[in-house]
Amino acid sequence: MTSTRLAPAAAIALAATAIPAPAADIEFWYGNTGRIETAIQAACTAFNESQSEHQVACVGQGGYEAGMQKAIAAFRSRQHPVLIQFFDAGTLDLMLSDAVVPVQEAMPDVDWGDYINGARSYYETSTGDLFSQPYNGSTLVFYVRTDELAKIGATEIPQTWEAMIETARLLKDAGHDCPFVSDAHPWRVLEQFSARHGVAIASNSNGYGGLDAEYTFNGGLVAEHLNNLAAWREEGLVLLDQDTAAGKYNRAFNAGECAMMEASTGSYAAAYTAHGENVAIAMAPMYEGVERRNTLIGGGSIWIMKGHDDEDVDAARAFLNFLRREDTQIEFTRATGYMPVTKSALTQLENSGEMGDLVFATVELGVSSLNQPGNADSKGIRLGFYVQFRDIFKEETQKAFNGDQTMQAALDNAKRRGDELLRRFEQTYQGATLP
Amino acid sequence: MLALILMFFYIPVFLAFFWSFFLERPFGGGSEFVGLQNFRRVLSDQEFWRAMWRTLLFMVLAPGTAIGVSLVLALAADRGIRLSHPARNIIIWPKAIAGASIGLVFVFIFNPHLGLFAPLNDLFPGLWNPRIDGTDAYLMLLVAQVWNGIPFNFIILLSGLQSIPDSLAKAAAMDGAGPWRRIIDIQIPLLTPQLFLTFVLEFVGSVVEAFGLIDTMTEGGPGGATTLLVYKIYVDGFKAYDLSGAATQTALLMTAVAIMVALQFRLEKRVKYER
Repeated sequence: MTSTRLAPAAAIALAATAIPAPAADIEFWYGNTGRIETAIQAACTAFNESQSEHQVACVGQGGYEAGMQKAIAAFRSRQHPVLIQFFDAGTLDLMLSDAVVPVQEAMPDVDWGDYINGARSYYETSTGDLFSQPYNGSTLVFYVRTDELAKIGATEIPQTWEAMIETARLLKDAGHDCPFVSDAHPWRVLEQFSARHGVAIASNSNGYGGLDAEYTFNGGLVAEHLNNLAAWREEGLVLLDQDTAAGKYNRAFNAGECAMMEASTGSYAAAYTAHGENVAIAMAPMYEGVERRNTLIGGGSIWIMKGHDDEDVDAARAFLNFLRREDTQIEFTRATGYMPVTKSALTQLENSGEMGDLVFATVELGVSSLNQPGNADSKGIRLGFYVQFRDIFKEETQKAFNGDQTMQAALDNAKRRGDELLRRFEQTYQGATLP
Repeated sequence: MLALILMFFYIPVFLAFFWSFFLERPFGGGSEFVGLQNFRRVLSDQEFWRAMWRTLLFMVLAPGTAIGVSLVLALAADRGIRLSHPARNIIIWPKAIAGASIGLVFVFIFNPHLGLFAPLNDLFPGLWNPRIDGTDAYLMLLVAQVWNGIPFNFIILLSGLQSIPDSLAKAAAMDGAGPWRRIIDIQIPLLTPQLFLTFVLEFVGSVVEAFGLIDTMTEGGPGGATTLLVYKIYVDGFKAYDLSGAATQTALLMTAVAIMVALQFRLEKRVKYER
């Protein structure tokens, strides 16, 4: 009786000892959902199958912001994962958090210079060391529907705002209800706009020079552009999310409501599915007479969190090395529409002869947009509580678009409230120095 | 039980008050005592007062409408008018729907291009657009909250009405009191315990439960027009990592709600439970 009971238990015990236990089981938290999540999970499976030493469990958090919230709670209760993906806007909060180890410090042997400039500058320290490993990279580009433009006889994609608005007027005169669509999200109308025009949104080169930066976007080219957007919207040339039937700029474009939009390279796959050959992309429009600078990288990067033992960090290194491999990056690009972030991955993609494929349509344009000559003000955004500032900016400009205040008042208010955030951030991190 | 209450109620409350006197880093590792600075900052912030004002208005309008409508429905159902039996059943259904789901449905119903008011917009362009107009958005939120509140209030009020002895109504009727007179002089006075209960619950609910609706319907917009204080606290604390500011506002909101509930219970002294 006892022997039959013991037999299965013994078998299980034997089986357990027969399989070599992995050296480390670590977790990687990410925020993406949908198609991109599938690609991340595929990369995890590929890593786990490619070797037997480490096991990475990839855990989706349902969103960048939710991921950050959970990471904060987890770190405070010492339950945090070794690897975590964060989004662009949270960069400074993390750099000063004392919760992460810079990747370049954890992995000094990697050739970090291989990362393309546009991907590096956003995530590097003042001395040029990468703090996190760039992962899913996107940037802002300009989308047009060539069939709609052909109706008014336009064959060229507008390169400047002046040309864009002229095209928009022609479209409107021809009876088009939605010539150009945006959501006026600060990522588009503030950050990407100022970077590629080489102007700052805050002093100290957008905060790279120190925590005592102040917002400056309420004057100069950025203010001019936002005033223009408001005026163009009055004229019916520019529509925002709330003006479209679809309720969201990219859905409005894909549903055929709108003829042009400014959007992330990540929107290409859906736009192509909707309109096929009739979708064309170009670099985002510039104002005439301004030299084109680089756009900023959007998306996320992977950070190593503090407080884990060497074995776990070893597993993290192995996984980061795997994600950096050229073939891994190209597979990820193929599945998601994000761009490869290292020069060697780009070269391999070019050499493979697949660059002309539509799945890679955004890569060449996106990377060349990121690699335009930069200046001190186009490196990135290094401002504290920036996520909260984005909400303030949206709230104030939204009021201006709805006619509750002038755009200039909105920008002045956003600057004032933003500066209060910066001062509080400075005080919260008193004594901390910008890495 | 006591331990659970301690863990999930008193400790968070205590922490909120505690943090409101510190500048707290999101990831920990350095919190600085700043005395009343957080309170000074919050109390001098226009956005806080706007959110507070919106919350107070909501606390009056939502319970008022929800209880008013439920009372009418309950009086009608109690009188046993035609179809009141199936109505009693059907009216309860919305209670089973979560705030977030209601939000999604109402967003569609109130969609300016496709929803219920779309034909109205065709006649008068721009009349209804909760995505642009703050007042429209606030109304939309209010309707959703009231709609969600009616079933529960209805049940409570109806059961209250039905427990009023028949003999009172009959006696009044024999003395010549019509239905309206009986409602005003007999039913409503005898219903005060139930009215008080629904009022307290609705009142607190309008502060707390509106969150799910705001999050799915408006995310506090357009231009902050539907940012009630609970939503602002969530955004500040969780999306913006301003733990100290969120804690301070929580402390202020808790104090405000506690004061109002205390006032309500002073009012309760006038509620007669004896029949």
